[in-house]
Amino acid sequence: MSSSRPFICLAAWLAAGLLLAAPVAAASPDQIVLQHNGTEILLSVHELREQADVEFSFYDPYLAEEVEIRGLIFRDLLTAHLGDVPETLHFYAWDEYDVALGGWNDDNWILVTHQDGEPLSLRERGPVRLVERDYGDRDPGNLRNFNDWIWMIKRIEAVP
Amino acid sequence: MKPAPRWRRHLGWLWLSLMSFTLLMLLIAYQTRWVYPEIHAYFSQAGNLTGQQLATRSRDYLQESLDLLLEDSLNEENRHQAHFQLELAYSLFDIGLYRNEYSCTRPSLAALDELKVKLRSGQGVLASDLRHSLLAPIRCLTEIEMHQLDRRNSVTAAFVEDTRRHQGQVLIGSLVIFLLGLTFWWMHERHRRSAERATRESLEWMTRALSDPLTGVGNRSALHQDVLACEGQPMGLILIDIDFFKQYNDCLGHPDGDKLLRDLARLIDETLGGQARLYRMGGDEFAALFDCADDGVLTGHCERLVGGLREAALHHPDHPSAATVTFSVGAARFIAGQAGVDAGYAAADQALYRVKAGGRDGWQVAEAKVVADNGDLKLERS
Repeated sequence: MSSSRPFICLAAWLAAGLLLAAPVAAASPDQIVLQHNGTEILLSVHELREQADVEFSFYDPYLAEEVEIRGLIFRDLLTAHLGDVPETLHFYAWDEYDVALGGWNDDNWILVTHQDGEPLSLRERGPVRLVERDYGDRDPGNLRNFNDWIWMIKRIEAVP
Repeated sequence: MKPAPRWRRHLGWLWLSLMSFTLLMLLIAYQTRWVYPEIHAYFSQAGNLTGQQLATRSRDYLQESLDLLLEDSLNEENRHQAHFQLELAYSLFDIGLYRNEYSCTRPSLAALDELKVKLRSGQGVLASDLRHSLLAPIRCLTEIEMHQLDRRNSVTAAFVEDTRRHQGQVLIGSLVIFLLGLTFWWMHERHRRSAERATRESLEWMTRALSDPLTGVGNRSALHQDVLACEGQPMGLILIDIDFFKQYNDCLGHPDGDKLLRDLARLIDETLGGQARLYRMGGDEFAALFDCADDGVLTGHCERLVGGLREAALHHPDHPSAATVTFSVGAARFIAGQAGVDAGYAAADQALYRVKAGGRDGWQVAEAKVVADNGDLKLERS
């Protein structure tokens, strides 16, 4: 009986190591982490760019110019991967910005993958960012009106 | 044109007053529901995308990048991290507002691009490169920050001034509306009291008009009014005449005569047990009116009246046939209504006349007979 104890200890250490290592998703601008009910889904930015099927042009208040946008309807993306649209989402960005916001069951929110025909990189506030396709009569000269837009999205967590 | 009724005029003041206070409440609700959230939205920008200036955040990343490259610009990990920080700084620097309003923005972004190329190509980074590609953009960002802060301060000052003016206007408006409300309320209250006083005076006047000022009992008009108010009910009427009252007055004087009238009114009321309404028909004649369905009640009342007076034994110094005051009483029953009371009164009066003709100090009841043509119970002599 005493001879089996070292093997049990070794097995326990191995199991603990695997448990600690398993849930950590590698952070990279090439993928977005979507977390819902404790499960993490890795979304390839390349695939998102491939799936981008919404195109329009609008006046980007932050760039102060008209730009061509390509992306996906964010609500549809959430529904496709999570089954429904969570009430509140917590976003984490590459620039350490994080915020929890609701109201995503709205096809006006576009997850932008391309700008003027080019895929977004960090310097264009990518790899993906959220914008409103139609921002109504809000004054684009006042950037405070667009505080809900989220840039450089790295991770999205559904708030339970 | 007919003037508006008094009650409508009062309601007008009341409505104006209520409208003023409602307006005041709406103003306060507007102030709290819309104005304060606007102030909150303006000043509570912490934690959101533009809560901290983009230029400040960009400058932080450039400083981190500078720190890494100054530490060891040949170290691959440092170069990689510096490159990452440069990208973040660029994304927060490349803002339309900065490009359009600050001339140093475009050269600074170009300088960042040059440094990026050097870092990616593996070229050495010299102090002059850092000075040109990092310190110059940092100076530009600082300039932007300062200018944006100044602008924000002036906008804030203007906003505060606007808010202060707005608050002053709202305060003055609230005070004016409040005072108007109070004035309207005061007008309403004044008119209400005036109407109340007028109503009270009318009622007092009507009461006086329907009562005998000497004895306090009702008068002839009150009798008619009370009978008409009991339309259709069987009633009894007793007429009471004081025998030789003129002689009493002549002997003892009118003040004593008046006192006798008051005493007799009280005595009649007590004798009838408070069940009858009493009236002074004029001079020395009283009438008692009460609900009465049969002659038994009527005769009972008459007996009690005459008996009660005899028992009271009020001294009459000039009575030709007795030493005390005596009554002559005639009574009748009738159905309340205009025709009924006329018939009842006539029948009771005839009964009274017969008592007087018979020597006074007694009573008689007229017999009842239904007259078919109008349904009233008319009375004929017994």
